[in-house]
Amino acid sequence: MTNKNITTGLNKMKSRTYTGTPDRKRANIDILDGNGVTAQAVLLSRVQSIPIFPITPQTEFIKTMAQLKEKGIYKGEMNVLESEHSVLSAAIASQMTGARTFTFSGSQGLMLMHEMLYVASGTRTPMVMVNGSRALSAPITLWPDHNDFFDQRDTGWLMLATESNQELLDSIIIAYKVAENQKVMIPFMVNMDGFIQSTTRTEVEIPEQNKIDKFLPKLKQQVKLDVTKPMTLGLGAMEDYMFFRSQLHKVNLDAKKVIMDAHKDFAKITGRKYDVIDTYKLKDAKVAIVIMGADSTIAKATVDVLRKKGKKVGLLRMRLVRPFPEKEIRNALKHVKHIGVCDQNIAPGMSGIMFNEIRSALYGEKPLVSNYIFGLGGKFISKEDFGKVFNELLTNKKEKRAWIM
Amino acid sequence: MNENEIKVIKDVPKEELITGGTFACGGCGAVTGIKFTLKALGKNTIMVNSSGCMTLTALYPFTPYKVPWVHLAIENAGSVATGILMGLKAQGKDKDTNVVVYAGDGATYDIGFQSLSGAADRKENFIYVCYNNSFYSNTGFQRTGATPLLSETTSTPLPNILPRKHMAKIMVDHECEYVATACTSYPLDYMNKLREASKYKGVKFIDLLCPCVPGWELKPGMSYEAGKMMVDTGLWPVYKVVKGQFEVTIKPKMLPVRQAFEMQGRFGHLKDEHFKRIQDQVDKEWAHFEKGEYYKACEY
Repeated sequence: MTNKNITTGLNKMKSRTYTGTPDRKRANIDILDGNGVTAQAVLLSRVQSIPIFPITPQTEFIKTMAQLKEKGIYKGEMNVLESEHSVLSAAIASQMTGARTFTFSGSQGLMLMHEMLYVASGTRTPMVMVNGSRALSAPITLWPDHNDFFDQRDTGWLMLATESNQELLDSIIIAYKVAENQKVMIPFMVNMDGFIQSTTRTEVEIPEQNKIDKFLPKLKQQVKLDVTKPMTLGLGAMEDYMFFRSQLHKVNLDAKKVIMDAHKDFAKITGRKYDVIDTYKLKDAKVAIVIMGADSTIAKATVDVLRKKGKKVGLLRMRLVRPFPEKEIRNALKHVKHIGVCDQNIAPGMSGIMFNEIRSALYGEKPLVSNYIFGLGGKFISKEDFGKVFNELLTNKKEKRAWIM
Repeated sequence: MNENEIKVIKDVPKEELITGGTFACGGCGAVTGIKFTLKALGKNTIMVNSSGCMTLTALYPFTPYKVPWVHLAIENAGSVATGILMGLKAQGKDKDTNVVVYAGDGATYDIGFQSLSGAADRKENFIYVCYNNSFYSNTGFQRTGATPLLSETTSTPLPNILPRKHMAKIMVDHECEYVATACTSYPLDYMNKLREASKYKGVKFIDLLCPCVPGWELKPGMSYEAGKMMVDTGLWPVYKVVKGQFEVTIKPKMLPVRQAFEMQGRFGHLKDEHFKRIQDQVDKEWAHFEKGEYYKACEY
């Protein structure tokens, strides 16, 4: 009953039965799934406009927001349009008027938005979107993998993948802070794993509204559709096209520093520290897994098990995907002997998508880099599976490409 | 009918909200249409464009527009207008701003129909003008759903054998409160329709016939006459349907259709039998229009 949780109010903690041991000193603990968390983040960020189209696994979010709007807790606009393509078109237009805009999609929906994703970054509209990652048709399925997310890799958006619902909540707020920075002005896509995050309730600390208001002040957009100051937006270009693309690339790269600064500011108000990459027991590791998304939690638990047995294993989780934190990845991994890139995606005819990028970041460095494809369409992966991967990394003296299935 | 009605041409606002010197062809009916649209609606207007000829009016670093103008893609003009209205409403600015879509016939009848239909269904508050030059002009005159019967296009060199969609009727069926057709050769009629439409709620749809000099294969300078002849022969009925009430606003002189076709090179292949066939159809259509039988007139 996610909706109930949210409608209890923004910063009120209500007693309810609940396993686990919450820290009672921290005020606003709630148990929310990814949809509920996204709704909370939307409220906290004071989003003004949400064009949306229902798609599994995001439908609970629409239901929640509709109820919040009816009760007057969400005061902005929400409109269920007739397709995802229209949703993103409307979202860009809405943001272009200077209203803080949000949307939420996944899988087939994201694919239908694909054309407009380029338009969103090309017109430099600082909106935020959450993608509930879900494997792509055909065959059509409901369970998560990251092909939908990685397919948007070259659209010019800033892209970030989360592991937990807490991270999702924080990342949406951070995303607005970064996207709306005058030096950035690029849309931001935050990824969560469909079902694993969207429908699993976990303990989430909800930051206080006044602190978030200070962190994320009211949007003052300079370039917008305003009858008092007419501007022509989304216009064509001929020989200047390349100039615009070079600017988009430059700004996307430069956004890394803005993201790092936003992480620092966010840590000051909440105490939760984030980095562009998430490293786990990596400093003295001999072998390591590189992974992304919610299944990282299982891999981290495997690291703990093996560490207890004295094996020097570690993990790197991709958090920021675009801009690609090349330097950070190289510095974090160059001492490792054998790396296993675990891709929850596949570029058929090539390899995992992340594998290519990690190996390119490590070009000229010593580590062997193997590639494991896992969890496509939500295929279950266990600690034992990760254990086998670590064992192979520890014993194999050659690079390997394999499927865990 | 309207306190803002423009009765004579000298009452038309003098201020130009689109400047000269666009990249459009000489005599372009669609640019003329933009001029009339902005004159009728005034400064507090946001114009939405869909990819097409009119996108090329604004090429970086030039713009002819003195009102906010936006173009995102070809198939989403209805959704872009929806988004603008959402953003304006969220900021309390939607009351005093007109949002007008100016999209081509391909972007309206065909690829963008879904977004228009969705917006009409949701009763979004904007005016949708389809600048109808009756093919995909920007890509070199391929057939759209708006291409008239027996017209030659680059995709139908043996002429188009399919009748055109009755878009206005389709929009009436969406229960739009204000649906009209117009032609740039009758500017007062068009501008008054825009002003009248502003009073109604939901999507207001105007199908505006815009002569296209290269596409219709007109002699240079004959744009106005060609449009006028399409109306006067009854080939392009100019009417409005307000809350389901049908009314012809420009009564055609019912000149022979041959006169309209002979001005246009795209109908150069037509023979007497074709003229007769189309003349019969137009006569039949107008017999119904005169009796106010809108739906019967739209039947084939």
